[in-house]
Amino acid sequence: MINVVFLLLIFFLIAARLTPPEAFAVTPPRAPGTEAVGDFTLLMAPDGALAFGALRGRTAALTALSAARDVVCRNRDCDAQPPSLTLRADAAAPAKALAALLPDLSAMGFARIDLATVPQ
Amino acid sequence: MMAALAFRAPRRHRRPNLTPMIDVVFLLLVFFMLASRFGAEQGLGLALPGALADAPYQGPPRLIEVTPQGPRLNGVPVSLDALPDALAPLMADPGDTIVLRASDGADMQALVAVVAALRAGGLTAVVLVD
Repeated sequence: MINVVFLLLIFFLIAARLTPPEAFAVTPPRAPGTEAVGDFTLLMAPDGALAFGALRGRTAALTALSAARDVVCRNRDCDAQPPSLTLRADAAAPAKALAALLPDLSAMGFARIDLATVPQ
Repeated sequence: MMAALAFRAPRRHRRPNLTPMIDVVFLLLVFFMLASRFGAEQGLGLALPGALADAPYQGPPRLIEVTPQGPRLNGVPVSLDALPDALAPLMADPGDTIVLRASDGADMQALVAVVAALRAGGLTAVVLVD
């Protein structure tokens, strides 16, 4: 039994991807998507509110995201290898909120984003 | 006298107690089972408006308005499945930019459904504008 438990433990250690807890629960929209692993993850609540990590609120989240991008860009060439951003938006969030957010992300230097989806 | 100097008889070899270690291993196992998230994240790529500067918009208007009732291509209601075919005459190249606009009341699910329908038709150059 101890052997089996050790085996399971090692399996979970290798296979698991630890993710920090999200500021609020998000149910991404259903759609067939391609694999996407972003350097940063921005959350959007059903009411359109934003969060980055534990920071809630549009200004705080975008400021922190911009700072995080600067830190990454100090260590690598962001022109050759632009950092990717995943937006985990709730399926019920207004699409207008996303449209209003994109110019700010564009000004930050992101060229494209990945909208997180769950397979149908 | 001699008996007092003699070493004590060696103790019988005992097996170490494994219970505390098993406890810790179980704890770690449960922690990783609960804390991990499996499966790669899935996502739909969306270009930001700033990317338009590299490839200026060309050709006839290709504006898809996402409404709660369904997509409207240049003002005409079109079903999701028919979108790629309806766009085909408006495009010189499959890489041409398609402009998406979200109307009031449209949620993210409606937007993603349109992007996925376009992607299924091989159209990936989608830009969302305000």
